[in-house]
Amino acid sequence: MQALGALVSVELKKLVRHPVNLFMNLLFPALLTAVFMFTFSDPELGMSINSVVPGLVVYAVIFLIMTVAQSFSSERKLLRRLNTTPMTSTEFIGSHIISNMIIAIVQVVLVLVLAYLLGFRPESSFEGIIIALPVTAIFALSSVGLGLITATVSKNPEMGVGLSFLFILPQMFFGTFMPLSSSTQEIAKFIPSHYLFDALKMIFEGNWMNTNFLLDLTVISIVSITIVVIGILLFEKYGSE
Amino acid sequence: MSSDIKSALEKFTRKALLEVAKQNNINIPTNWSKSLIIELLALNVSIDNIQKTKIKPLEARMKTEGESAIIIRDLVKKFEDVTAVDNLNLEIMEGELFSLLGPNGAGKTTTINILNGIIKPTKGTAIIAGFDVTKNAADVKKIIGVCPQEAAVFSFLNARENIELFGNLHSVSKKEIKERTDRFLELLGLVDASSRRAGGYSGGMLRKLNLIMALISDPKIAFLDEPTVGMDARARRKTWEFIGSLKSENKTVILTTHYIEEAEALSDRVGIIDYGKLVELGTPEELMERYGAKNLEEVFLNITGRRILEGI
Repeated sequence: MQALGALVSVELKKLVRHPVNLFMNLLFPALLTAVFMFTFSDPELGMSINSVVPGLVVYAVIFLIMTVAQSFSSERKLLRRLNTTPMTSTEFIGSHIISNMIIAIVQVVLVLVLAYLLGFRPESSFEGIIIALPVTAIFALSSVGLGLITATVSKNPEMGVGLSFLFILPQMFFGTFMPLSSSTQEIAKFIPSHYLFDALKMIFEGNWMNTNFLLDLTVISIVSITIVVIGILLFEKYGSE
Repeated sequence: MSSDIKSALEKFTRKALLEVAKQNNINIPTNWSKSLIIELLALNVSIDNIQKTKIKPLEARMKTEGESAIIIRDLVKKFEDVTAVDNLNLEIMEGELFSLLGPNGAGKTTTINILNGIIKPTKGTAIIAGFDVTKNAADVKKIIGVCPQEAAVFSFLNARENIELFGNLHSVSKKEIKERTDRFLELLGLVDASSRRAGGYSGGMLRKLNLIMALISDPKIAFLDEPTVGMDARARRKTWEFIGSLKSENKTVILTTHYIEEAEALSDRVGIIDYGKLVELGTPEELMERYGAKNLEEVFLNITGRRILEGI
């Protein structure tokens, strides 16, 4: 526990002290929220702000893929050194999972507070909104997993950042509030962020105590855990060499 | 009988064989290969003569007094076609400060990396404090401290935070981490910079931090891979004093360095490796006497000069 606690603390310090991490994890979601809220608050567009906010939360969390990929690709020298200590791989990967889940929760709070200040009024109670935090945190597992998969095949951090967009872009365009045709709606069913977006929409509409929400939550949990396990296995086998 | 003599002679280095020949008044052209020298000596010397020789074969010099901290047996590491470590045999004693010298690419860092579990050997075994490095890696990691060749620190953490992290990874108590951190920072003159982020450190400061991180767990065995490279002369002297002080704590230290005077000043014994093979072994004084050299650098150049001339 001492090692795990220390590693989580290091990861969280990286969030606030590393300029790229600070920008991508906190400033970028804040910026996106501000831009989208201003853009979609125009009634002429015929789009409800309340339908945009779940997508902004999703955007924030899927960009964790990039920071995880960048972090794991750039820290190989340190990883080799950490490997000479009694630290186990469970502690190391666990610390990244815990810290990224915490970051995801911070992102949800940040986006919601900012959106609220800019006119977002969810229909659910405060307790209902609280449920958005663990749901998003579970989804963050898939971002950690996809980040690990990206880091496994990346030779350097720049490559990690570039390749991460292979996972980010489909989730941005097929899994959020972008208008979908009937064929892209079929694709969306295979995109994890689609289920988070759907679940968050139900939460913010105050309509989450139903089987559809439970189904989304089940898909999010199974897919996220599967992706993170695949990511860990691939990175341990090929990425840490 | 000739085959017994040959097998006895094969345990000697080429240099030692030439010495055996000299002691037996046999003239050997300096460009002869080791196998040719052995053939000639086998015809002209007896087993008694070989045993009487002042130079012991490497095998006999593997072990000195005391308990073994590290035992390396027939260690081989191949990277595709390149043999980085070639049948290395060595024993390092508890409390010994042992320096591993060799030209660039001789196999020093690969050997260290096998011993600290970063890479797996192709063949052979390495035992550290009774634990096999491949089978009992977790046990080995609890008792070693590793100072890698390239400074590996978290740039966004300050010195204290970097050191604390490594203390925590070794489950050292908060109190001990604090006490040791204060002591080591003081000894290496890093107190004033200790609250600054490591990303802004000079090369020498990073090296010092790199070293402290390796020793915060109070390891029984420390691997220091070129710990003073890039330091100015004053910082290097201070670091030598620090490394030398580890001997009084009965720690086993395995040091690789390109500063031969560093090895001469600090080491109990020195091993010289070339092309992945151990080619010389002994105390600095023994080696200087054996080669009639004024210092260890002369010994080193004598043994590895061939390679330097080849421009490798």
